[in-house]
Amino acid sequence: MIDAERLKILTESAKYDVSCSSSGSGRKNTKGGIGNADAAGICHSFTPDGRCISLLKILLSNRCCYNCLYCPNRAEADVPRASATPDEICQLVMAFYKRNYIEGLFLSSAVEGSPDSTMERLLDTVIRLRKIYRFNGYIHLKGIPLADRSLISRAGLYADRMSFNVELPSERSLRLLAPQKSKEGVLMPMKQLAAEKKAVGEEKGKHRHVFLPAGQTTQLIVGASPESDGQILKLSQAMYRRFSLKRVYFSSYIPVVRHSLLPDKCAGLLREHRLYQADWLMRFYGFSAEEIAGKGENLPEEYDPKCAWALRHMQYFPVEVNAAPLEALLRVPGIGNLGAYKIVRARKYAKLDFDDLAKMRIVLKRAKHFITCGGKFFGSENVNTVKTMLALEDKGPRYEQLSLFSTPETSLSALTGQL
Amino acid sequence: MNVYITDGTEECFYTAVFNACTDRDCVVTSSHTVQLSLGASVTAVRTDRQKCERVRNKLTEYAPHSLRDVSVILRRGSSDKEQVALEYIRLIVQKKSPVGGMLSHPAVIAARDEMKKVTLEAHRFKGFLRFMEAQGGIYYAPFAPDNDILEMILPHFIARLKNQPFIIHDTLRGKAALYNTKECVVAATGEKVDVPLSECEAHFQALWKEYYAAVNIASRPHEKQMKNYMPVRYWKFMPEKRG
Ligand code: SF4
Repeated sequence: MIDAERLKILTESAKYDVSCSSSGSGRKNTKGGIGNADAAGICHSFTPDGRCISLLKILLSNRCCYNCLYCPNRAEADVPRASATPDEICQLVMAFYKRNYIEGLFLSSAVEGSPDSTMERLLDTVIRLRKIYRFNGYIHLKGIPLADRSLISRAGLYADRMSFNVELPSERSLRLLAPQKSKEGVLMPMKQLAAEKKAVGEEKGKHRHVFLPAGQTTQLIVGASPESDGQILKLSQAMYRRFSLKRVYFSSYIPVVRHSLLPDKCAGLLREHRLYQADWLMRFYGFSAEEIAGKGENLPEEYDPKCAWALRHMQYFPVEVNAAPLEALLRVPGIGNLGAYKIVRARKYAKLDFDDLAKMRIVLKRAKHFITCGGKFFGSENVNTVKTMLALEDKGPRYEQLSLFSTPETSLSALTGQL
Repeated sequence: MNVYITDGTEECFYTAVFNACTDRDCVVTSSHTVQLSLGASVTAVRTDRQKCERVRNKLTEYAPHSLRDVSVILRRGSSDKEQVALEYIRLIVQKKSPVGGMLSHPAVIAARDEMKKVTLEAHRFKGFLRFMEAQGGIYYAPFAPDNDILEMILPHFIARLKNQPFIIHDTLRGKAALYNTKECVVAATGEKVDVPLSECEAHFQALWKEYYAAVNIASRPHEKQMKNYMPVRYWKFMPEKRG
């Protein structure tokens, strides 16, 4: 059994990966087995930094032979080292799962020895959990770039989700800060897994395989290198489209290592928050990356990206709440996904006025400048006044509260209401 | 004004609805601390199977999902839950159809709010419930939810831990679900039951606390958000928060 000392080292080394989501898989329990996955994901606890604990997030080893500058585990760093055996990880997962501490496992590892031998140990752990311990809970496995193709394929048969982290948004930054990695080394396996998942999805008959039911995700570090928000969003959009990614996580850079090539300040949470808002616009509101920010542009700080877009396109507003199509409602600042659907549903029964919207908890502070209700308009006609008011609206600690720095699944729907 | 006091069961509530539905100026409640206005006439409702069935049949005819909705509302831990359910039923009876889509109607807004509080708490406890291994390999999980959600979370845990005998104990309402890997019964209990823990239990709780401390990013404190998502009143049974 793993001891407290190693558990601490292997957890602290893993915690900067922001993904902790346990959603997207409907894996069922088996005869004689333990566990299943909940498609919506479940948060089991929250830490004092406001993040959710859903999975046991841990490294198999932090003994790394690579030298990524930003990483506390890089070969040259003088930090305590530890590793666990596959069976120790399995036992810990089982003990925690039976007590309902966790939804499953998020397993990763530093590159110990070679990419192949590291990937083999990760795979061994996952196969053990599924076959010997009959574990059907959620497993998120981090892939090791440059590991053998067949190892990566096999992992897809046992894990619910896999991720290869792009980390740095451009080849240039990667070469500078993570010399042993390359963009291709990360993108290749993502492409391979996407193709294999598609092929398995087309299988027919009784004995179809289950292959990464919760798909793939990746993570980008924001603020360690000079790329603009526009560039980051464009890259995200391309990955969503090419690899059918489920999520791109943004992690605002935290300096755990000092180096002349790295900034010595935390990238602000506000920037990370704005990127997540933009990401939501791309995934759920029908916006493209180009509409949100041009290539060299950064997102504005004063207001959210949807407000910014609307202010640049005042010719489309105001829209009439009782008549506008869903797509137009989704583009109104302050009306979220949930709000837009509520409006479309409710207006079938009764004509809506501003009071009704308020009763339905649709926040009007921002929206009122962009809508009419039964022809009535309560906003300001003057774009500059609107700008000032929206900027004031966005002030205060709200962005922190909403930071998606690993936001629990349950609050995501609430969040859509804010855009 | 008539005040109908029910015994808190669904059957008794539907019996009360039989009369209350058309009695415009009335209150239905199971609360014993209800404030009575002057001139109120109080009726203690006794369950009448026939009346109950007639109301249920009518509702199913008008709105197939309404019985489920009402059952969720009645699990609320608030004293006006029966009244909210009654208004919702009145609207269904008036419209003779499902009303769930009438999102700007006060009765629907109130009903949805109550339902959401119940289902949200049930969802939360899928995550926040904590089992302890007792001697003999039975897992014991005490909790004290705001709403009466024990039966709502049971199917989840039975599907997930189907080969693990367990007890889930609502200490507030004095009832527990006992599951032996084959069947499950819900029984009345005292507020406290004595459960001797297995030898390794303390060890795993300690490891979990170690993990909880290590995974936190101390340079980014955000206690307010933690408490929003995981209210302090739930901490009592969570080893990582019990100190
Ligand atoms: S490969 Fe790079 S990022 Fe990963 S553990 Fe090693 S040094 Fe850190």
